[in-house]
Amino acid sequence: MVDWLTMTIQMVSLGVAVWCLISFFRDRPMLVPHLIGMGVLWLLVLGQVGATIAAMVGGERPDDFPMFVSYLATIALLPPACAVWGFMERSKWGPAVISFACFVLPVLLVRIEQLWSPVV
Amino acid sequence: MSETATTDATLRSGPGRLLVAVYAVFALAATARGTYQLLTRFDEAPLAYGLSVFAGALYFVAAVGLARAGRTSRMVALVCVAVEMAGVLVVGALTVFWSAGFPDDTVWSNFGSGYLFIPLVLPALGLWWILTVHRADRS
Repeated sequence: MVDWLTMTIQMVSLGVAVWCLISFFRDRPMLVPHLIGMGVLWLLVLGQVGATIAAMVGGERPDDFPMFVSYLATIALLPPACAVWGFMERSKWGPAVISFACFVLPVLLVRIEQLWSPVV
Repeated sequence: MSETATTDATLRSGPGRLLVAVYAVFALAATARGTYQLLTRFDEAPLAYGLSVFAGALYFVAAVGLARAGRTSRMVALVCVAVEMAGVLVVGALTVFWSAGFPDDTVWSNFGSGYLFIPLVLPALGLWWILTVHRADRS
């Protein structure tokens, strides 16, 4: 996994989480800028997933391989799944869903990073 | 804003929307974790791993019940959430006072402390939300 990409994703994810939390407290629904934010976040995540798959094809494999792949699939699917679910709600609870997903994502990245290089 | 929706949809709109998302994530987390542990390390702690799978299945059914939001689904969700509440309290108490029975953690161990106590708060919020909708529906 690309370290700086993981860090960037975590920062962007927390940023979007706080932003959506503010929207939630200001009683705003999900708008196009939120969707663009989620799009950018998802692209970063897909970049990381792609780089990781490339590394795995190149022979680099974590010990706990099945666990690692299931985490990888989860982080790849979490942003779009929650974005769609949140965008369907036209009230302040839409950003609440996105905010939750964006707080979970960095935690998942910490776990998957531990699986990738357990010596940390 | 979305108050004009039919009563069938109210369970999944507003706060329900967030609840379904949280339930879905926990369903995935608990089921995946439990299944994997059951398959790879069944001998170590079958009770703990089996419980994780059971908890995951409950979260899944509750999420679907909340998302479908009909009258029957609401009852299904209510039962699931109530069982979860009992589960997290019983297992939480057991893991604190009788840790020998649980050599490995589950989502409900120590009242869900490994998951920021969300497993403890979640069923309470679920019960509150289902009952709120139920009351609004009756009046």
